[in-house]
Amino acid sequence: MTAKDQGPKTASTEGQMIRELAELLNDTGLTEIEIEKSGLKIRVKKKISIIAAPAQAYAAAPASAPTAPAEAKQTQQPGDLSKHPGAVKSPMVGTAYRSPEPGAAAFCEVGSKVKQGDTLLIIEAMKTMNQIPAPRAGTVKAILVENAQPVEYGEPLIIIE
Amino acid sequence: MFDKILIANRGEIALRVQRACRELGIATVAVHSTADADAMHVRLADESVCIGPPPARESYLNIPALVTACEITGADAVHPGYGFLSENARFAEILEEHKITFIGPTSDHIRIMGDKIEAKETAKRLGIPVVPGSNGAVTSETEAMKVAKDMGFPVLIKAAAGGGGRGMKVAASPAELGTALATARSEAKAAFNDDAVYIEKYLQKPRHIEIQVFGDGQGNAVHLGERDCSLQRRHQKVLEESPSPALNAAQRQKIGKTVADAMRKLKYRGAGTVEFLYEDGEFYFIEMNTRLQVEHPVTEMVTGADLVLEQIRVAAGLPLSFTQEDIELKGHAIECRICAENPRDFRPSPGQITYWHPPGGLGVRVDSGVYQGYRIPPYYDSLIGKLIVYGKTRNDCLMRLRRALSEFVIDGIETTIPLFQDLVRDPDIADGIYDIHWLEKHLGMK
Repeated sequence: MTAKDQGPKTASTEGQMIRELAELLNDTGLTEIEIEKSGLKIRVKKKISIIAAPAQAYAAAPASAPTAPAEAKQTQQPGDLSKHPGAVKSPMVGTAYRSPEPGAAAFCEVGSKVKQGDTLLIIEAMKTMNQIPAPRAGTVKAILVENAQPVEYGEPLIIIE
Repeated sequence: MFDKILIANRGEIALRVQRACRELGIATVAVHSTADADAMHVRLADESVCIGPPPARESYLNIPALVTACEITGADAVHPGYGFLSENARFAEILEEHKITFIGPTSDHIRIMGDKIEAKETAKRLGIPVVPGSNGAVTSETEAMKVAKDMGFPVLIKAAAGGGGRGMKVAASPAELGTALATARSEAKAAFNDDAVYIEKYLQKPRHIEIQVFGDGQGNAVHLGERDCSLQRRHQKVLEESPSPALNAAQRQKIGKTVADAMRKLKYRGAGTVEFLYEDGEFYFIEMNTRLQVEHPVTEMVTGADLVLEQIRVAAGLPLSFTQEDIELKGHAIECRICAENPRDFRPSPGQITYWHPPGGLGVRVDSGVYQGYRIPPYYDSLIGKLIVYGKTRNDCLMRLRRALSEFVIDGIETTIPLFQDLVRDPDIADGIYDIHWLEKHLGMK
């Protein structure tokens, strides 16, 4: 899921910031960075993109709109986590929770060893809690969502190797 | 006014709604299946949420996923477009329960007009002329035979839960009635899970003329003139125009007033289209669509109204931007539904658009979500765009349509543009003399 932010800064300042954050992601191997500064919050996330190259010309048009840079859709960063063989993807749109209830211990952490069928996290959709089971046994290598984070269908949640 | 609207649809209508919201300064959420991740409206929307895999049942018809998408994005209203859940009363109700505004009529009105028998009863009660037929559902062959003999053959057997041209069987004589009735019933059960059928007189050479209406939900309603949608293939509209070449100003005024009065009595809210068969100067109600229609642009061109804007206004509790006196039909507009299909056998042609050059210039409008390099997914309908032209007179409009079609280039897939080039040169079309069977006869299907 991509979201845009309304900001009072000019297009170039914000664009510069996004560019720097994107480079930081590549340099550090992180998948997501969020910064908040003077009421402006920017989140940059690595994501799979299937956009055909010529179509970029059309994406450029809205980006040149004179008003806030929020017009420009935050284009997905090239990333390969949803194609990772160990990726567990969300089967539905909803809100991800890492523990069975607030205050309780998380279902798993990075490094946890899980068996096939173990609950990895919960996705809540319309007040129903859906347990997301581990599709195979392995070790949790990465947890890509925070507690109470909205997720979309197909979004990579956890990497198990 | 709404802060954020979730667009529960895809393709060209999703882009249409996205544009209206952007012009109103309303933030948008584009929900999409995995197959539509690169859709133009998804790229232009403020936020996007992938709600499921390609099949419509698991994405665009997936009510829990749609409601959840509203919750996680904080959308305060949903525009359902056309098709999908736009006439699903349950969806409207669920949204109401979640305090999210459904941009459309009340779930009650959706329900009334969704059941074709009840819709007809309601239309009769409201003073709208209807096709002569059975009084509600027919439950036995004996009853059906009596009704049919009273009216005279041929008769049409229609599914109560059908609509949009589906679930209809003709019985040309008493000998055919039994089989037609049984077949209609079993097909209705299979397609709509309801085998209730009713009977109507079968009109031989009618035109399909529909009236665009708008209500504010407070008892005010207006009509925005008619659209002639007689050119159909397998009950799917192919080309539409406004005004109808068959009506004069007096007829237009009369049927428009009848329909607007009915909507006022109903306290109808939002956009609606009352569809008629028209033959020998008489109008016969067939159904009402409680949503925006595909062909709404021709009405926008001749009235100057922005129908999606009005839908949003009315849903937000604002009055309509116009009164009946403000509505004037000026000039002429024609819309061609451009489909990714072979122009002769209409076989679907999904694939990648390698070259896209739409026409432009004065009086030319192209409503389409595709672009050069776009890959048309095979999972949904084949409509890839609408070409709408406007002219001061019907003749000017036809000349402009001919010119616009000659500029339109779509490579990489087959499209129905050649069919429209053929139609615009046909003398019957030029004279405006056609009925709902004309196109199929022209295509050699009859």
